[in-house]
Amino acid sequence: MGQCQTAQLGVVEYDEAAVVHFPAGLPAFENETRFLLIEQDETRPVVFLQSLATPGLLFLTLPAGIVDPGYRLELGADERALLELAGDGPWAEGEDLVSLAILTVRPGNVVTANLLAPVVIGARSRRALQVVQAESGYRLDFPVSGGAVPACL
Amino acid sequence: MLIIRRRPGESVVIAGNIEVTVMEITASRVRLGIQAPAEVNILRKEIQLAGEQNLAAAGAVSLESVGILLDALRGRPG
Repeated sequence: MGQCQTAQLGVVEYDEAAVVHFPAGLPAFENETRFLLIEQDETRPVVFLQSLATPGLLFLTLPAGIVDPGYRLELGADERALLELAGDGPWAEGEDLVSLAILTVRPGNVVTANLLAPVVIGARSRRALQVVQAESGYRLDFPVSGGAVPACL
Repeated sequence: MLIIRRRPGESVVIAGNIEVTVMEITASRVRLGIQAPAEVNILRKEIQLAGEQNLAAAGAVSLESVGILLDALRGRPG
């Protein structure tokens, strides 16, 4: 078990097998290659993406399918190879891969989700990258509002 | 925006030391070759925009912002 110092989530204990590897980092964070996916009962369905190297680097994300239930992911051959996804698909969200939309909390407490460039994680390989779906028509600032999640959660 | 027409094999030179060459044109795509000093950062535009969005997202994260996010998701006023 390792211990990850974080700025917002305290000290997080983790198993090396749970680490997500971004071989290419993320746009604007090309040197950040190791992250933890953290989910807590009291904050579901939010998935935290915490950098192992930088305690203050934390992304708030939601599964893309929660932001947009019909969300379609298109992966090119290079992307599939990096994620070590076998075959031609289709791949089951949650089983073969996980697609996360990075959230931005903006002035006025407006929250937006980046559906244009989801973080895609290979469930078995634990490898990940941020995939820009350039021709998809999705927005990088899709508003997330009340009703996205049932109030009883 | 400066608009220039080029044929395959022709180039434009930017700031004296950045050269963009049209390598090949197909029906749907242009292949560009770019020569520039190593310190010049060259990114597909959508990657540049994704990077800016990531910086904005990471920069806005605080203990408070998680609460704001959960309120927004559950439809409660912030």
